[in-house]
Amino acid sequence: MKVERIWQADVQQRVFRELLEAFSRPGDMRDLSTWVDGTTAQRAVLATLMDGEMTLADPHGRIMDTDWPLLQAKPGASEHARYVAVDGHRAPDFQPELGSLESPEFGATLLIGVNSLGDGELSLELVGPGIDGQRNIRLAGLHPDWLTRRADWVGSFPLGVDLLLSDAHRIVALPRTTRIRISGGAL
Amino acid sequence: MNAMSHVQSGNAYNFGFLDEYAKKEVRRAILKAIAIPGYQVPYASREMPMGRGFGTGGLQLTLSLIGPDEVAKVIDQGSDDSVNAVNLRQFIEMTCPGISTTTKTAECTLIQSRHRIPEQPLTSMQIIVLQVPYPDPLVVVEPSEDKRKTMHSEADYSRLLVKLYEDIVKFDEITISHRYPTRINGHYVIDPSPIPRWDVPKLNDSAAVILFGAGREKKIYAVPPHTKAEPLAFSDVPFQVEDFRDEKGRRRACARCGCTDAFLDEFVADSGGKTWQCSDSDWCDAQLLPAKRLQGEPA
Repeated sequence: MKVERIWQADVQQRVFRELLEAFSRPGDMRDLSTWVDGTTAQRAVLATLMDGEMTLADPHGRIMDTDWPLLQAKPGASEHARYVAVDGHRAPDFQPELGSLESPEFGATLLIGVNSLGDGELSLELVGPGIDGQRNIRLAGLHPDWLTRRADWVGSFPLGVDLLLSDAHRIVALPRTTRIRISGGAL
Repeated sequence: MNAMSHVQSGNAYNFGFLDEYAKKEVRRAILKAIAIPGYQVPYASREMPMGRGFGTGGLQLTLSLIGPDEVAKVIDQGSDDSVNAVNLRQFIEMTCPGISTTTKTAECTLIQSRHRIPEQPLTSMQIIVLQVPYPDPLVVVEPSEDKRKTMHSEADYSRLLVKLYEDIVKFDEITISHRYPTRINGHYVIDPSPIPRWDVPKLNDSAAVILFGAGREKKIYAVPPHTKAEPLAFSDVPFQVEDFRDEKGRRRACARCGCTDAFLDEFVADSGGKTWQCSDSDWCDAQLLPAKRLQGEPA
């Protein structure tokens, strides 16, 4: 029986290292195409991070029915799940878990699928931990409400959410500590 | 199918010893630790085939990070050849077939260290994992973990500052020689593990990712690259690193390589007197090499 590569331990180790780099250096684009084998980066990330201990919400129906038994994650509501996979085109219509002051690690990780990273109409200026000075990224296919809502969600550190944007095979992380300015606009 | 063991022929264990579920747990904790710089993320620490206190926290981080193309370096108090380092390195080599190990700081991609950060500046291609015995700097002033978690969340470190002040009143200086409380990104104060004060400035604006693992206390925390790390101090009593000056005020040199800008260990020489030598053995070797060449000796 042939097992898809994203479910294999050695590939998950590589994907995790890319995730580690992405979260350590917000705005730095990481290419997973060597590892994802034609599937999406978001799916590879889920395969890497999920197991039976985690709750996962899928409000936009992005996860295939056949993947749920493999991911082993418990389905949860978008408001409470530790991980939420969403479609970036659609405006946010929920408030994710922000964690508590004592346990901010319960703040959700949002996996947001977008059209493209690296080019596109939206240009962001990033500063914060992991960034030497300032970093700029361009992207397409993210509803602007995600950034305005995020600004509220991460407003009182250490509470907040951590975003992982992905297109077909690339990822960019925006942890709660990153301060984002839309180029030409203010946020 | 997910989280299947990855056993290679000739080895009874999964690659990296830990089962894949244990790795996922550690990996998720690492990502949250990086997203909340300095916060101690609780995690399900596994039993390791060695006593707690021997670097099981650091080892779980290393084994969750490591891949077959890794070049790993393991150090204990700056030395690649002391007992803790040798044992951990052998364990990693045994359970991670295919990886290579080195003693050279410049060549490695992953460093596990007990109580030192190498003298040679680390690069953005490297990750350093520090073994942590006591992760919470507030434990000296507050016994209840519940209360400590609240104090951390509110960035309330007044009692820790009082402790430092009492030191100054009693001893005219802050007496903390290692594990110096350091504030990360203007919020959480961490115990940077028992590194000497000498190494504390290396946490600030580091090019490499710095990860901390406390196996017994079941905590993982991180200092991401290019993040502010400020040792706690007062405006009139600034933080100082060890100065290694002798009675005449001259900077002591390493007895082996002659280096005057590295952290030194004090030894009792055969003659009974004191002698000083670089704590970072790889650094000392690297300084020695050009000196030998100069004298025409084979390196």
